Amino acid sequence: MSASTQEINNLINQEYKQGFVTELETNTFLPGLDESVIHKLSKIKNEPEFMLEYRLKAFRHWQTMKSPEWAFVKFDPIDYQSISYYSAPKRKEDGPKSLDEIDPQVLEAYKKLGIPLDEQERLAGVAVDAVFDSVSVATTFKGKLKDAGVIFCPISEALRDHPELIKQYLGSVVPHTDNYFAALNAAVFTDGSFVYIPKGVRCPMELSTYFRINAANTGQFERTLIIADEGSHVSYLEGCTAPMRDENQLHAAVVELVAMKDAVIKYSTVQNWYPGDKNGLGGIYNFVTKRADCRGDNSKVSWTQVETGSAITWKYPSCVLTGDNSVGEFYSVALTNNYQQADTGTKMIHIGKNTRSTIVSKGISAGKAQNTYRGLVKVLKSAENARNYTQCDSLLVGDQCGAHTFPYIEVKQPSAQVEHEATTSKISEDQLFFCQQRGLSAEDAVSMIVNGFCKEVFKELPMEFAVEAQALLGLSLEGSVG
Amino acid sequence: MATANTSAYVDGYPEVVSLLCGQSLPWLQQQRADALLQLTTHGFPSLRDEDWRYTNVSAIDKKHYGVALKSASVAIDSDWLKTYQLADAWSLVLIDGYFSAELSNLNGLPEGVTVVSLAQAMQDTHYSALIEGRLNSAVESTENGFVALNGAYFVDGALIYISSKQVLAKPIQVLHIATQELAAINTRTLIVADELSEAQLIETFAGLDCAYLSVAVAEVFVGQNAAVTLHKVQVESDKALHFGGTYVKQARDARFRHDNFALGGLLARSDVHTDLEQASECELNGLYLGVKRQQIDNHTRINHLKPHGISRQLYKGVLDDKARGVFQGRVVVAEDAQKTDSQMNNRNLLLSNDAEADTKPQLEIYADDVKCAHGVTVGQLDEKSIFYLQSRCVDEETARNMLTFAFANEMVDKVKIKSLHDLILGQVLTRFPQEGINKEWL
Repeated sequence: MSASTQEINNLINQEYKQGFVTELETNTFLPGLDESVIHKLSKIKNEPEFMLEYRLKAFRHWQTMKSPEWAFVKFDPIDYQSISYYSAPKRKEDGPKSLDEIDPQVLEAYKKLGIPLDEQERLAGVAVDAVFDSVSVATTFKGKLKDAGVIFCPISEALRDHPELIKQYLGSVVPHTDNYFAALNAAVFTDGSFVYIPKGVRCPMELSTYFRINAANTGQFERTLIIADEGSHVSYLEGCTAPMRDENQLHAAVVELVAMKDAVIKYSTVQNWYPGDKNGLGGIYNFVTKRADCRGDNSKVSWTQVETGSAITWKYPSCVLTGDNSVGEFYSVALTNNYQQADTGTKMIHIGKNTRSTIVSKGISAGKAQNTYRGLVKVLKSAENARNYTQCDSLLVGDQCGAHTFPYIEVKQPSAQVEHEATTSKISEDQLFFCQQRGLSAEDAVSMIVNGFCKEVFKELPMEFAVEAQALLGLSLEGSVG
Repeated sequence: MATANTSAYVDGYPEVVSLLCGQSLPWLQQQRADALLQLTTHGFPSLRDEDWRYTNVSAIDKKHYGVALKSASVAIDSDWLKTYQLADAWSLVLIDGYFSAELSNLNGLPEGVTVVSLAQAMQDTHYSALIEGRLNSAVESTENGFVALNGAYFVDGALIYISSKQVLAKPIQVLHIATQELAAINTRTLIVADELSEAQLIETFAGLDCAYLSVAVAEVFVGQNAAVTLHKVQVESDKALHFGGTYVKQARDARFRHDNFALGGLLARSDVHTDLEQASECELNGLYLGVKRQQIDNHTRINHLKPHGISRQLYKGVLDDKARGVFQGRVVVAEDAQKTDSQMNNRNLLLSNDAEADTKPQLEIYADDVKCAHGVTVGQLDEKSIFYLQSRCVDEETARNMLTFAFANEMVDKVKIKSLHDLILGQVLTRFPQEGINKEWL
């Protein structure tokens, strides 16, 4: 919570602070998409043959598909031929061997974002993979992780060094036929992070990827694959920002998580893509497919997301609870202001016995924004004693915004217990009055109430992120109060 | 994904057009033509339609349903009819969609109250001001393929009019009886309650043991400060397909309540849509019991258009064998509709391994000063309650029966008309998935 009204006023006048552009020499493909682009992409990445085939298969499938229209969002059709599918800072032919060889301007850009790539300066205990436009520019703490047996590297590197793992797992959770944007991603994904935690290893530090879109007219298509082998444990964080531009940029990522027997994956996202200006001009289209497969018994996947950015957010981090006794969790805060639109939620597919899932979703809508929770809880016949609890609350700030709830519940197993609760309300005058009576300004009171509303989710975030998330919330609500 | 074929209904239309009511009304002919065109171009809904994603209507392709002829109706046993016809109510009976004056009981209707066959009313200019402009105004044929089918094909139905300040002493029952194998029965009901009036209405759907398609559309206009309760008792034959839609317009301060007891039919779907003006209230209740291979759907849509509206929904389902229950509820709060208070609840009890419950309670809210909540549960009986009863020397099976019955009986108890309550309770008991309900519990 901010300390005084003065600070709030400063905040209100503040722009999207990650909105700067880094001037760089880049290698960028001309806009356009056909098979030759995919051949070129695969070649530039030095990929094995099977990967090229996979991409082409996905591309051909994508061409047969139509852009989905069921979500509660409105946008003009995207011209996929006007997007450039590859943009990378220029660098030496064989890539940087160490941090010293990275373009200092890229390092500077990350410093400005508060993500110094210099290991000494970094908060102890977090390893970062930095993805700048289409490529990963640096991964920190590689050595230390290697000692523990953990593989944490850009996915393009994993394609060369661990093709057998990629071949086995890539597309096994989100197949290239899954949906329109997943097919596109499978065809043209450029980079992303790859994590493999071997049997019985508890990852010694938090892993983190920081995505940055910099170049104009490009789309970012990253792919993240996390495999937690038997009995392992990993916590992964993801952050993202982009410059302020008047045109909309597409970000279509795919994230696949595989949790084997007794493994635990915790995946946290603080999404702060450029949301567009006050009049709804510009901003990122964030169309993401995220899915976890709890393959082994007793495995657990926990998604936590704080969605404050993007002109349009359209994503449903999901859990397929295949293993017996597996657990899926989804904690989300989605905040929309001005003309932002969010259609987000989760899917929990109960297949194994005694599977449990928890969904806590908090939507806050302000300005002229539309905020939609859409979630599916499906209990198959095999899922004896499955248990789900869903709670989704919406808070409306202002009278021109919308908050919507579309839960889908499908149960085929009588021993399952499924509960869903949802409420929609505004900040009550009584609450505000109470706070003001105790000497708090209206803005502080709103900030405090909103933070309280979201607390259930924030407590799931790793400490550094929780602080960032709270600050972001204050920032994104600016101008919507009083 | 198979989409049910409409060609039989489109191609056969010229042959049956002479059977349909309102031939002398040009505006109605135009509406029928529009409805048929809608059916031709858009067909029946498929699973790809968001509102029909859990309702697979391809079953209507498996048999060829033809328009029922009045002359082909099977004689009805009067004792059988008595189980459904309330003695202490005015009743209008439709056999295979056609009005039957002999079976109806419309004696002693007070002045200012009209209960008449829609086909007859259309021949009488006395009623034209009531019908024209209202028919097809609460719902249009663009709503879905079954409303379009009904709009093109309805042969008869009921017109109920309650003039202002009229408070009905007895309920009015519209009794739909199906008697013919493979009949397609399309009926239309128009209910108009003027300001400050009060009425209890009952729609009952029953049939002989045969396979038929029943499509019933009701349009209800509740005037300012009027109060209308509509009880729907759907006990169709267990081979029947039933698509019923109730479309309501509520004026300022109007109150509307709809209770749906959906017990019969192989595939039975009920849609209730209502538009609420300022400070109007609606209460929608439903109980569905599914056994064998039954699928029973309840779909609601409540549009809060103006401030201070109140809506309450409670739908409960008990599903056994391979039955499937579907609830899709949608509450829309428009930008203007501040201070709206809306609650939606759906509770499902699954009794067998093959039963299924699908539910989708949706909220769409464009106003900030509102209280809206929805809740859904799907599950089993509370083990603690069973334990409690067992600790009181009730054996487990009886305990389960008691609790299951109590779960359903909450809805039956909401019916305050004694004879109707008894009728519904009797139907619930005969169709109850579990045997061994003890009358002493009642």
